[in-house]
Amino acid sequence: MGFWLELAASGLITGGIYAMVAIGLNLQYGLMRIMNISHGEFLMLGAYLTWLAHTTFKLNPIVSLPLVAIALFALGLAVYRLCFRRIARAAATVEIIEARSLLVGFGLMYLVQNAVYLIWGADLRGYSFMADPVEIAGARFMANRLLVFGFAVAASLGLLALLRWTMIGKAVRAMMQSPTGAQLVGVDTEVLHPLVFGAGLALAGVAGGLLSMVYEISPSMGEPYTITALIVITLGGLGSAIGSLVGGFILGLVEAFGMHFTSPSLKMVLSYGVLVAVLLARPRGLFAR
Amino acid sequence: MNGRGKRRVPLALAITLGCGALLATLPWVLSDFLLALALSCLMYAALAVSWSMFCGPTHYLSLATSAFFGLGAYVTAWGLESMPYGLAVLGGGLLGAAFAALIGLAVLHLRGAYFAVITFGLTELTLHSITYVEKTTFETAGRIISDAPETPVIYWTVLALTLLAVATAIVVRASRLGFALAGIGGDEERAQTLGVNTRRVKVIAFALSAFFPGALGAAMAVRWTYIEPMSVFNPFIGFQTVLIAMVGGAHTLLGPILSSVFFSLLTEFLRLRFPYAFLIVLGLLLVVLVLYLPGGLASLFLRRARTHG
Repeated sequence: MGFWLELAASGLITGGIYAMVAIGLNLQYGLMRIMNISHGEFLMLGAYLTWLAHTTFKLNPIVSLPLVAIALFALGLAVYRLCFRRIARAAATVEIIEARSLLVGFGLMYLVQNAVYLIWGADLRGYSFMADPVEIAGARFMANRLLVFGFAVAASLGLLALLRWTMIGKAVRAMMQSPTGAQLVGVDTEVLHPLVFGAGLALAGVAGGLLSMVYEISPSMGEPYTITALIVITLGGLGSAIGSLVGGFILGLVEAFGMHFTSPSLKMVLSYGVLVAVLLARPRGLFAR
Repeated sequence: MNGRGKRRVPLALAITLGCGALLATLPWVLSDFLLALALSCLMYAALAVSWSMFCGPTHYLSLATSAFFGLGAYVTAWGLESMPYGLAVLGGGLLGAAFAALIGLAVLHLRGAYFAVITFGLTELTLHSITYVEKTTFETAGRIISDAPETPVIYWTVLALTLLAVATAIVVRASRLGFALAGIGGDEERAQTLGVNTRRVKVIAFALSAFFPGALGAAMAVRWTYIEPMSVFNPFIGFQTVLIAMVGGAHTLLGPILSSVFFSLLTEFLRLRFPYAFLIVLGLLLVVLVLYLPGGLASLFLRRARTHG
């Protein structure tokens, strides 16, 4: 019993991180059609900021999470202003925005990743934080993993609540349903777009900060998360925040249980297998209306 | 575009052939290093031109190039001991085309970001499946290619493939298939209403455009002495192709060719000296190009030409 609980929990923990990364990316895509392929690089940046704060200023990683969020939110505003605003304005169709933002995303990916290589080198970095085991119902967990899971779920649910019940959340959802309609009733794109883009980056940064508590970090750590996030949002449906949350957990569980029943070298085959299967059966994702 | 375009086909083909004849002399002129550089220019030109053949007019964003390339490379890895090099190249191309037709039937109804993500997912799925099969059935992580042909032979093979890709692109652009593709890119439902069997057209064109990365993978595989799935299915081959084609201007023929030369030279001369700084510059360049030259490099010299569509 304890073993199965551990297995499920490890799946849910990775799933929570997946969900958190994916929701940010999904909001950006759903609202602005920006396919930001460099999303994982900002996660990596968040991880490095947390690590830096911990090793140089002895700052508790939990304390630095909000700081990382603010820093990446500001960075997101700047990136949006410099790159994506122009694309959104100049492009004639949605398809062109998607294609161009994908290219700009590649450019940003090269830029950020190699800047970090240049500054901090290719070595794995890490620190130890709350690495003691905790026992719950006969299963043993590392304390830091439980913390990461708690934060990831809280952040994801918090964002969902924000989307559901606040005025700005309503504006975002309205904009996703009908951009023209939302503008007609006075939703301001010029405010909303940078805000949501920044929020997406902030979420990625916090996810990175959380990951740095558990795993070693390196400049290339972001890419796999970008790819997983793409899988998760495709599973849950592009533009559906709750779909991303559920999709993240599903993928985490499928990976954990699948690896247990087959072999760890099949991890990637499993996740892509799920993606392809879902897209073939339900081309618009599991939660599409 | 139709009448005038059609009449220009023989001229364009003749120019292609002429350039090809000129390029074919390079192995006698260039040093080994420069020949390798020319080889990489040609490879990316062929990849970008064949990618643009389907994705340019239809606005599909396929990231599956690495899958076709890797499958081709594995045809060589598995078969070079039992068949001649030329046959392996042909086999690689056919396998690429067959695989494209198969996945095309399944996924070409998806559009936009969904199509990009699923082609990427299928590439990774192929990569990891091959890794798994190699590991469990053959108990090997990679394969050593023993008797590789001489560099000039590889060069001429890749040159021939590049010329074939350009010629195919020229012919397709002026054919019914090309018009149907452009129609699908403009408005798929309209094209369907006007009697285009869009599904068939898309699958045929997708398979045709996948022949080249498959054949190139088989041809270039002998450049590596050691083949493993991670290197030949490397998603960056696909990314780089998309990048080159779109920076050049995927709706044109010359754009992708120009930008593949530009990118290969840039990569070759800067990467070895400043590996990280180079990629930072590449990233910046990409962002600036997309923002300020959205029509691609081709728009620099096509600015005054008539725009249609």
